[in-house]
Amino acid sequence: MNALITISVLAVLVLYLGLYKANKALLPVTLLGLAVALFFTINHWNVFTGPTFNDMMSYDNFAVAFSGITITSTMLILLLSKGYFEKISDHVAEYYSIILFSLAGILVMVSYHNMTMLFIGIEIMSVSLYILAGIRKQDFASNEAALKYFLMGAFSTGFLLFGVALIYGAAHSFDLEAIKMHLETNLQTGQAISPLFYTGVVLMAVGMAFKVGAAPFHFWTPDVYEGSPSLITAFMSTVVKTAGFAAFLRLFATCFYPLHDFWMPVILVITIITLFAGNITALYQNNFKRMLAWSSISHAGYMLFAIVSLGSEASYGVFVYAIAYSAASIIAFAGLVLMQANTGSDSFDSFNGLGRKNPFLAFTLTVAMLSLAGIPLTAGFIGKFIMFSNALSSMHTWLVVLAVINAVISIFYYFRVIVAMYFKDAERAELEIPLNFKVVLAISVVATILIGIWPAFLPNVI
Amino acid sequence: MQDIVKTIQGVPLNHYILLSAIIFSIGVTGVLIRRNAIVIFMSVELMLNAVNLLLTAFSAFSNDPAGQVFVFFIMALAAAEVAVGLAIIVMIYRNTNTIDINVMNRLKW
Amino acid sequence: MEAQSTAINYLPIIFQILVALGFAVGTMAVTHMIGPKRKTSDKLTPFEAGIKVVGNARQPFSVKYFLVAILFVLFDVEVIFMYPWAVNFRELGSTGMIEMFIFMGTLLLGFFYIIKKKALDWD
Repeated sequence: MNALITISVLAVLVLYLGLYKANKALLPVTLLGLAVALFFTINHWNVFTGPTFNDMMSYDNFAVAFSGITITSTMLILLLSKGYFEKISDHVAEYYSIILFSLAGILVMVSYHNMTMLFIGIEIMSVSLYILAGIRKQDFASNEAALKYFLMGAFSTGFLLFGVALIYGAAHSFDLEAIKMHLETNLQTGQAISPLFYTGVVLMAVGMAFKVGAAPFHFWTPDVYEGSPSLITAFMSTVVKTAGFAAFLRLFATCFYPLHDFWMPVILVITIITLFAGNITALYQNNFKRMLAWSSISHAGYMLFAIVSLGSEASYGVFVYAIAYSAASIIAFAGLVLMQANTGSDSFDSFNGLGRKNPFLAFTLTVAMLSLAGIPLTAGFIGKFIMFSNALSSMHTWLVVLAVINAVISIFYYFRVIVAMYFKDAERAELEIPLNFKVVLAISVVATILIGIWPAFLPNVI
Repeated sequence: MQDIVKTIQGVPLNHYILLSAIIFSIGVTGVLIRRNAIVIFMSVELMLNAVNLLLTAFSAFSNDPAGQVFVFFIMALAAAEVAVGLAIIVMIYRNTNTIDINVMNRLKW
Repeated sequence: MEAQSTAINYLPIIFQILVALGFAVGTMAVTHMIGPKRKTSDKLTPFEAGIKVVGNARQPFSVKYFLVAILFVLFDVEVIFMYPWAVNFRELGSTGMIEMFIFMGTLLLGFFYIIKKKALDWD
């Protein structure tokens, strides 16, 4: 709770700092505030006694774990933003404060205990993101991204809300625990569950699938990710995606768990379509940013595994996968931002010959690509391993077979970057890497390799 | 207050569900087939209002105020969404002089 | 009122709708049919207080108060949170009072921001 208050107050503070022309102080104050919020979050670990605030929020270990990842990823992304926003727009303070507002929404999303808070969290996050996507007012791609994101986001919110309304009609409550109790008592006493409830579950699944960008509701993702400014895309594809999955998992793993047999096939179909759509389309991309967008769709497919199989390891699996994916994506986007700033291009060819001129950057990008592809000794492998073993233990053998085929496909497009960096020669100047980029790259690479070599380093916090 | 609840309960619940479902479907159809950003936006609002109606009906039938409180939140957040959405549409109008979403095809999948 | 009303109870309403629609459509049709028609170019131009009509009426014009309108929508809707508070003012007591003041304070912070950003200046 303290973390949420800290971030909300921080956002307003940053807004007013910008008003009084204290632009130098923006980044330090933001990072400091986020560090305080992270401290409060960690302080909450293992002190969970029950839902608080009239049963609206529950700060259990699940919430602590995902708040921790999202706050840390935001800090890393904001570290990269030094000097970045100044180039795009005059309203630098607004950037920081909108990102912080969005983060406040995300914290609500990962710790809700009532459908009302789920809705409020998603909306606070989404409305901020619509603005962030379109913040380059003169740029046509950015405008288009904002409009598409806005229309699709509002549309999916409609589905989500209709689902909530139908579930409320059947269970007479918005409280997750009460809805679960309603399901359990009905199943035990053999009473039929109202058809409203089934429709509601499907509509909510559709709404959440829209939000996390799972196929067949993924079509907005590549356009929005490509049109938004690169750092905002980094924020969307790491922090927002993690939060979306945390919310998705909390809803389906705790609340709708008794109806697992009903909704599991639906999610299963979504998972398989997502995997294939993401991976096969990513193969045909020539633009690095767009490839990352499609690969983020395919990673959404892997994370859906946790919701399909829902074993004891489901939350832990999403936790590890989200860390691995976030760290690797942050490296990839840092490389992309550097490349765009120096060459103005984001095609694969612009990476040619990078291995000779910038060995450090090339090495970190290689680690990131290996981790995204799920090669052993990286965090991505551990994430996939937990997901797959979890799915195997719940008898989804052929799902795992399909997923492994997809993992093999994904190697092709991730290795294109590595091949371009090391085996293609091009005349190029050495990129100058600012210190803050070096720090972020180093942290992310160390995390990726450390988790890959020694998974026990990451305690099972959930 | 009790009179209003009684009046709402005067109509069978199924009628409310059907009406909301129809309004919601009109909204969904509008989003899918119209090409004007403002009209799409209005259709989304229609979807949200169908939800509001449904929540109010359920709330009255189960004598539980939580549903109506939820409606308040939907209204307030829909207003926030309207503000941001209209700002985005105006921004696009200033750059392109149109609000037809077919011009939004620079980014292709 | 009875506990449940059936479709038959709505019959008067349907009649009323039919009569209302019928009256509107009927009078319009009848006036079109029996009224005299004289079509000259002067009659067909819109009457603009005697001044000659210039340009098309259907062209977009700049809306200076667009921002003000949007901000109005935002602040206007927040009032709905005050109605439940006002109704339950006594029951909620001082806790409710403090919470409402925090809410209002947050809104005021936004309002000061808007004023400082000169979003309410029209020119």
